Amino acid sequence: MALVQNFPFITIVFSLTCGVLCAVLPGRGAKRLCLGWLALTTAMSGAVLRFTLTTDGSFLYRMGKWGAPFGNELRVGVLEALMATAFSGVMLLSLLGGMRHIFADCEPGKVNLYFTMCALLMSSLFALIYTNDLFTAYVFVEINTIASCALVMLRSSDRTLVATTRYLIMSLLGSGLFLLGIVTLYGITGELLLESIAEKVQALFAAGQYSLPLTVIIGFFSVGLAVKSALFPFHSWLPDAHGSATPSSSAILSGLVLKGYIIVLIKIFYRVFGLEIIVSEQVSRFLLLFGVLAMLVGSVNALRERDLKRLLAYSSVAQVGYIYVGIGLHSELGMVAACVQILAHALTKPMLFICAGGFMDVSGGHKDLAAITGAGLRDPLGGAAFSVGALSMMGIPFFAGFVTKLELARGALEAGPVTLGITFAALAVSTLLNALYYIPIVFNLYTRPRDGAWAGVRQRYHWEYAAALAAFIALNLGFGMGSDWVVGAIRRGLALFGM
Amino acid sequence: MPGLVQHLFTNYYETAAVVLFGIGFTTLLMHRNLLKKIIGFNFMDSAIYLYLASKGYIAGRLAPIVSGENADPARYINPIPTGLVLTGIVVSVSVTAFLLALTCRLYDRFHTLDIDEITRLARKEQV
Amino acid sequence: MGFLLLLPILFPLAAALALCLRPLRAQRRRRAFTVAALALELGLTALCAALAGGTLPLLPLAEGLCVTFGIDGLGRIFSLLVAFMWLLSGVFTQEYMADREHLGRYHVFLFLTEGALMCLCLAANYLTLYLGFELMTLCSLPLALHTQTGPARRGGYKYLFYSVFGACLGLLGFYTVHTYGRGTAFAPGGVLDPAKVAGHEGFVAAAAFLAVVGFGAKAGLFPLHAWLPAAHPEAPAGASALLSGVITKGGVLCVIRVVYYQFGAAFLRGTWVQYAWLALALVTVLLGSMLAYQEKLFKKRLAYSTVSQAAYILFGLALLQPTAFAGAILHVVVHSAIKDGLFFTAGAVIEKTGQTDVRALRGVGRAMPFTMGCYTVLSLGLIGIPPLGGFASKWLLAEGSLASGIPVFGWLGPAVLLVSALLTAGYLFPITVSAFLPGADLDGTSAPPLEPGPWITLPLAVLTALTVLTGLFPGPLADAAAAIAAALC
Repeated sequence: MALVQNFPFITIVFSLTCGVLCAVLPGRGAKRLCLGWLALTTAMSGAVLRFTLTTDGSFLYRMGKWGAPFGNELRVGVLEALMATAFSGVMLLSLLGGMRHIFADCEPGKVNLYFTMCALLMSSLFALIYTNDLFTAYVFVEINTIASCALVMLRSSDRTLVATTRYLIMSLLGSGLFLLGIVTLYGITGELLLESIAEKVQALFAAGQYSLPLTVIIGFFSVGLAVKSALFPFHSWLPDAHGSATPSSSAILSGLVLKGYIIVLIKIFYRVFGLEIIVSEQVSRFLLLFGVLAMLVGSVNALRERDLKRLLAYSSVAQVGYIYVGIGLHSELGMVAACVQILAHALTKPMLFICAGGFMDVSGGHKDLAAITGAGLRDPLGGAAFSVGALSMMGIPFFAGFVTKLELARGALEAGPVTLGITFAALAVSTLLNALYYIPIVFNLYTRPRDGAWAGVRQRYHWEYAAALAAFIALNLGFGMGSDWVVGAIRRGLALFGM
Repeated sequence: MPGLVQHLFTNYYETAAVVLFGIGFTTLLMHRNLLKKIIGFNFMDSAIYLYLASKGYIAGRLAPIVSGENADPARYINPIPTGLVLTGIVVSVSVTAFLLALTCRLYDRFHTLDIDEITRLARKEQV
Repeated sequence: MGFLLLLPILFPLAAALALCLRPLRAQRRRRAFTVAALALELGLTALCAALAGGTLPLLPLAEGLCVTFGIDGLGRIFSLLVAFMWLLSGVFTQEYMADREHLGRYHVFLFLTEGALMCLCLAANYLTLYLGFELMTLCSLPLALHTQTGPARRGGYKYLFYSVFGACLGLLGFYTVHTYGRGTAFAPGGVLDPAKVAGHEGFVAAAAFLAVVGFGAKAGLFPLHAWLPAAHPEAPAGASALLSGVITKGGVLCVIRVVYYQFGAAFLRGTWVQYAWLALALVTVLLGSMLAYQEKLFKKRLAYSTVSQAAYILFGLALLQPTAFAGAILHVVVHSAIKDGLFFTAGAVIEKTGQTDVRALRGVGRAMPFTMGCYTVLSLGLIGIPPLGGFASKWLLAEGSLASGIPVFGWLGPAVLLVSALLTAGYLFPITVSAFLPGADLDGTSAPPLEPGPWITLPLAVLTALTVLTGLFPGPLADAAAAIAAALC
């Protein structure tokens, strides 16, 4: 067994350790440890990615060398490694970009706990990506929930307090359903490892037994994870939570946390039930419908918002809808599109939130659209990054968003005429709505305020902010222009992802 | 239909678990009082533990604690569900602790436990 | 000689960048720079048109998707048109906007839009076309929003809304061609693969229709025309001229490329798509003319006129017939020249007299004889009076329509064109009449001379001369267009 194959396990477990260590270190020390560790995990995940690409296969990592069906397993393939690398890179950049705000927003003496939570979050994200066991998935889903709620609470204000509470309550509803699904499935099949469950499930479907319970279980999984990833109509908690948190937290929550749950859902669909059964159960129809509604409702609500961060949060609701549309397309190409959107959104939305934080700096701490007039002139790099993000959201070629739309269209063209029509219409209207609220903001950024407010203020570029934004811009453009490689890797990964 | 009712009675643990889960879920979702929501959440999780424990139970066998004599699996109930229950209890306790801490803070700040009232009051604050 | 293709695209971008980095505050310097840059751009475009050939794949985005540039007969005509009109508008703007603010910003976006339009004209596949279309919208939006007044903002965002929606519809066409075609590079006669299309003709036809409507939105095709009268009048006159005269032609070029070079005229001929398109075009012709007739604001009247005239072009293209195609291309050039000239006139008149209502322009012919004289000639051209430019193009359109053999539309088209010509006379001529012959009650003897300076009158003269020339000698252009049409229909 190559050393590289231990890396997934190391990233999970040592992230937990890092979190514990951060809790006992002072603020600056915790920051250095966390950032350093994140850089290391990105490198390690990259090494795993290279390994899986060159061996062109996935490998099983048995914990403690116990074999199936008793032991716990990690399964690592191209898709998992790609997601892990991307997630840990994005978390690193998000923390870097919003570092000043983290220290400014937090109560003194408690900053190290924030980094603890980030490390725990990273550990749970890795675990959700790599795990091959259903109950482990549940445990780390709960760790994910707690850590992300704690992330919102960095800034102790009324709004974050209420937002955290509502987020936690909604999340627990989702977890409850998810757990019920797991437990019922365990009751029927007696297995917890995904492949073992899959064998039993296939046999049951072939024999026609337990068909209603299995359908209901699929429903539990879908609804539970949809609630946690803020699919319409379960998105009401998202704008408050993402809109009131510190920029780094909003970035991580929007870009990564939501996606972790969707990856678990895709994993269950692929490895436990298999795509044919999901198709025959028509569950995806509802996901498609709600995805389309999310695209529209999210954008319409964003249009009405005057607060920049809440607007970006509603935009996240719409973008999550894209992912579910991809899943709901019932096909291999649709899943590819969903994974592409996971990556594309993970690269774009954190950048937008970090820019919002930067604009707040040069606008006296205000974040409503009227106050950030001219912020692009006072903070050129932030303005440029926001423009890149806005064009990506609109789906202009050369940027990441265009690749998503292309893949979704490819997936839709394979589906039946009704699905095709609905998807195309939703894509067109959603792009239009995106343009309607992003382009005016971009113009607003570069318009001098009429009353000369904040005239002499200039952004002081700390290396962290500048480096994070520069890296985000480069990644976005790289994804947009070099998408061949990524999409090919995703296809390979999905082929290996299944049974 | 009578077969279904028969099954529900035979597996009364599981039936009770699902009913309790429904009660807990609805309480968590619908009640406005935060403490009642927390209680509902605990109901929900306890229901799951009941379900799991009942899945592991095999009538006439012992608790899976091997002591001394040869470990014959046929003497003990299925240990995995109890392990899952233990894990679940830990999760439930952590989440409950978090929720209670949040509730304390909310009460200190707003002097009410009604989540809708709190949301309304918080919206008025300029962030 | 592939890299020659990049010169007309990159040069305006470089000029914009230069202006960004070193804004020229001194008026003389800026004037010199602008005129020199635009003239150089015209030279580069001519060079490219004369010498460049082949295609230049520039940036691969994904498998089978590459930003590619190339030039053919159609591209030559359009790129030269763009560069020429841009030069004239640039010259006009120097005097027209001499004392306005934010000139630096205006010029930067002027150059950027020119670069985007060149990208559009020199595109060799659907992806590059779409990219150019989107960039054109985004770069020209600040021009429309320039004055930043309330109506300008509303007009500008309406422009954005309709254009982006149109682009989305065009993008659907792209996905369809990509899936059902042999690639998305432009080939005369289309690239659809009959084997793949079989069984999906209805869908492919629908996608083609949506693409036509979407890209036609840029040219004001009903029902996506409402942005034109909102956005064009609010922009500064130089920008209005470009929006009406050139950018609408960008939309027309996209329609041509999509219909003739991607889906293929043979695929669409005789289908419901063609009939619907013809119907929409004729409706737009009438609608635009009628709305122009009863509109009292000068620039808005001209905007409605653009809606109507652009629909002439789209009508000609919809006939899928060589003569009509030649007429459409000719009208592209002629209308561009005339409409630009009309907007220059309107700008000069509004600037000098401060009046925006056409009823208040009585007697202005005495004060601005040259300007109004050009206006008269241009109006005659637009109406279609021989021997001016508009006549040749409309004659070819009518001839093509009658020869196309399409039921109903074959004769309905020329009839509508005739009615529209009468309406055009109705909305353009009264201005001339009231300008030169205000009636006995207006004392015109003491009108101060308000004639604008050479920076305005020179482009006007050039455009008027061009109108006359294309009327007298339509041959070269019509032949070139017919040569292109032969390969397409």
